[in-house]
Amino acid sequence: MTTESLDVTVDGTDHQTPVEPWRTLADVLRDDLGLLGVRVSCDQGVCGSCTVLVDGDMMASCSMLAYRASGRSIETVHGLVTREGELSAVQAAFVERFGFQCGFCTSGMIMATTALLNEHPDPDRATIKRWLSGNICRCTGYEVIVEAVEAAAAKLAGQNER
Amino acid sequence: MSVADRLRTLGQHQPRVDALQKVTGAARYTQDLVLPGMLHAKVLRSPHAHALITGIDTSRAASLAGVHAVATRDDLVGMEPTYGWFIKDQPVLAIDRVRYVGDVVAAVAAEDEATALRALELIDVSYELLGSVTSIDASLAEGAPRLFPDAEPGEVPKYGAGALGEKDPEPNICYRFSYATGDPAVFDACDHVFEDTFTFSRCQHFHLEPFVSVARWDGDMVDIWSSTQNPFPVRKELARVFRHPEHQIRVHTGFVGGGFGAKHMCRTEPIAMLLSRKVGRPVRFCLTTAEGFLTQCQHAARIVLRTGVMADGTLIARHCRVWLESGAYSDASPLVSEKAGYRSPGPYRWQHIDTAASCVMTNATPAGPYRGFGAPQATWASESQIDMIARRLGLDPLEMRAHNLIELGQPYVPGESEIDTDMHLGLDLVAKDIGFAQRASGSGRGIGLSVGFKDAGGVNKPAQARIKVMTSGRVLLQCGTIELGQGIRTALTQVAAEVLEIPAEWIRYADVDTDAVPFDQGTNASSGVTVMGKAVERAAQDVRRQVIGFVAEELGVEPSRVELSDWVARVDGVEHPLPPLITSIYGGTGFEFVGTGYTKAVNDDRAPLETPCVFWEVGIGAADVEVDRQTGKFTLHRLLICGDAGRMINPDLCRGADEGAAMMAIGQTLFEQMVAASDGSLITSDALTYPVPSTAHLPEAFDLIIQEQGHGPGPFGSKGFGEGGMLVVASAVANAIEDAVGVRITSLPITPEKVLAALDEQSGSALSTHPEA
Repeated sequence: MTTESLDVTVDGTDHQTPVEPWRTLADVLRDDLGLLGVRVSCDQGVCGSCTVLVDGDMMASCSMLAYRASGRSIETVHGLVTREGELSAVQAAFVERFGFQCGFCTSGMIMATTALLNEHPDPDRATIKRWLSGNICRCTGYEVIVEAVEAAAAKLAGQNER
Repeated sequence: MSVADRLRTLGQHQPRVDALQKVTGAARYTQDLVLPGMLHAKVLRSPHAHALITGIDTSRAASLAGVHAVATRDDLVGMEPTYGWFIKDQPVLAIDRVRYVGDVVAAVAAEDEATALRALELIDVSYELLGSVTSIDASLAEGAPRLFPDAEPGEVPKYGAGALGEKDPEPNICYRFSYATGDPAVFDACDHVFEDTFTFSRCQHFHLEPFVSVARWDGDMVDIWSSTQNPFPVRKELARVFRHPEHQIRVHTGFVGGGFGAKHMCRTEPIAMLLSRKVGRPVRFCLTTAEGFLTQCQHAARIVLRTGVMADGTLIARHCRVWLESGAYSDASPLVSEKAGYRSPGPYRWQHIDTAASCVMTNATPAGPYRGFGAPQATWASESQIDMIARRLGLDPLEMRAHNLIELGQPYVPGESEIDTDMHLGLDLVAKDIGFAQRASGSGRGIGLSVGFKDAGGVNKPAQARIKVMTSGRVLLQCGTIELGQGIRTALTQVAAEVLEIPAEWIRYADVDTDAVPFDQGTNASSGVTVMGKAVERAAQDVRRQVIGFVAEELGVEPSRVELSDWVARVDGVEHPLPPLITSIYGGTGFEFVGTGYTKAVNDDRAPLETPCVFWEVGIGAADVEVDRQTGKFTLHRLLICGDAGRMINPDLCRGADEGAAMMAIGQTLFEQMVAASDGSLITSDALTYPVPSTAHLPEAFDLIIQEQGHGPGPFGSKGFGEGGMLVVASAVANAIEDAVGVRITSLPITPEKVLAALDEQSGSALSTHPEA
């Protein structure tokens, strides 16, 4: 039973923590770092609730072994709020458009949207639907989420113009 | 100034009170709870659909390092070992037999889940296999194996005129609800009598937060933290099962990550509590998504409708027989059968109704409440058959519905409350918006309509709320309605804010804790806004009256001369802020004013279901579908849903609720289905094998019309909202397919294979090799 040392940057902070080789990134984020906003639902990499960004790419943290994150930069929902306590454009759009209900998919949905808008700053509806099709929301019916993504894109475009 | 002018947030865009917590990840769910010294539970489940247990040996498991306790049937001694709603038939741990693949046989508490899972592999159970029944037909067959050789303890709820509940009326039927009114002889006078059979597949709730609870049995006190919709019923049942005083059990519930009916009764709590008693430490029991599939699901159903009608389309009489697949334990099946039976006639005028719904026990996952509570099954059959009859009689489905709808203000059945929505208005809105009159039937593209309805607000359901006003003027709202995602914290906060005339931000909706909040029957039946809302409105009125009375007394004026808003009293134009007034009398520590509110429908024997229905929830739907005759594939071009919120407290919440319901129904209609192998094990058993709707399944156009007819009995004329969309999608799509290509699908889900098989049958093609799915 070997324990690896995990060197990882999470939401801009460097962490060095021992980790057993079978533990998932979600386990470490939730249980060791206390980042409980990373939600685990299906635990099979299907529902998207646990989505985080690994070097900017979407990843199901429940299905990625933690040691594989060594030397990489992880972004979670906890890192989106600025030091001044301001919501990111995506978070603000989800509030404004009621893009959540029970909230359990929301962290993953917001991270997936963040990645989407990094890649496609002005996505059309088809792109949004395709990009988010790996994130399950059992509550909303998705229309409000698609609208929230569109609103976030518009908001970011406005910020970039200034 | 009128009341309307004073409204601050009602009917306006008002962000959710839980928004910041939920978009920042700060919201806490039961899944997140960690207590000092907490152990983790896992359970051993039956691999057999039906078997006697001939021996359990836990010695190897108990000696594994890190294992603190192994519980089996032997630990149930001295308890009432079974639980359920009306019929107490589900053992905490299997006693003499297992009744489905997944039935719980033994439980382990260990340092961590991995150790608990390893321990399960060391438990030896020997079984003697029994014959099993894994479908409604198999269960009802002559000589079929019986799940319960003896009658289980239980009771039948009280019913009023025309309604009847029977426990164990036939082998493998644990309960039957029936209702009749009018003279059956009117069938004889009908021009036509049509009998049609429909089948309904079972879905799984797929709530994202799993079933989870933490129990801490410490001395006499038991604390349970649970992801439940119904903390008070859970407390009551745990007290009964453990023969533990109810006042020494405390159930805590914060945010719940989705329920849709699944989290309505004991799930993980009894085992967590049993293990905590055994080890003297807190025990967390969290199920996987796959275990959720072995815990709760919707009722599959067979529905036979015999409907008598005149040649002009006038509906005369309906005979409904519903068989619901209840699975291995009765759970809420008696309640679901009551609703499925009662709602099967649909929202039409009948001279005679004879309806019965039976709960059929099978060796399968227990079925329970599922969004719509029997109404999806009832509406699927009823609204499909209405279209079929219209087509057979050469009538327009829209006109035939309109001709028979119960009018606003008329009772559903004798002794029932009056229908509180003008369904003609909703139906006209939908038909015009979707262009029903302009459709080209038979062109390959068609439009289908459906009118869903349900009695709502809960049967005989009381509600109590408490509002505490602190010296600072900040307010705590305490009631037992659980935030499952529907936005009830926001809606009830808005109701209180309007009555108190204060900003909504000054109010916090307290987490639910059975020690702290007044009793509540549970979060169900779309009752939050209408029933609890009324109690909150009254609590706010009560506390406001107290504050005004206090101010009037201190200032020596008549209460009628005191105006109060934002906790500033105004008397003859002079302003008196509340906090200094309070401390001048009560001292620097201040005081809390406490207001209470209560509501309940009055019991009435003339009403079939103990009390007249609180309000009627309608969903009117239309689907615009195009069918590819070559493949059977069809495209949902547009789905239009319409409901009546009475008056909207929060338009964005109303929208989210009904769109979410409609999306869940799209899954039910198109592909969701729990499928079991012949040995009773599930084939679609987890997130990988059981797809649910994603953004990829959004219809090309998905629209919602919210009416505000103003007849709701809730605060400000509101009504519950958010199940209507669940009821109508399946029948609207089936009706649209027949409109498009002339074939009728009578079983769910409506797959391309079924459509193609029906098209092949229609064309009489001898080359067809497509099996009847």
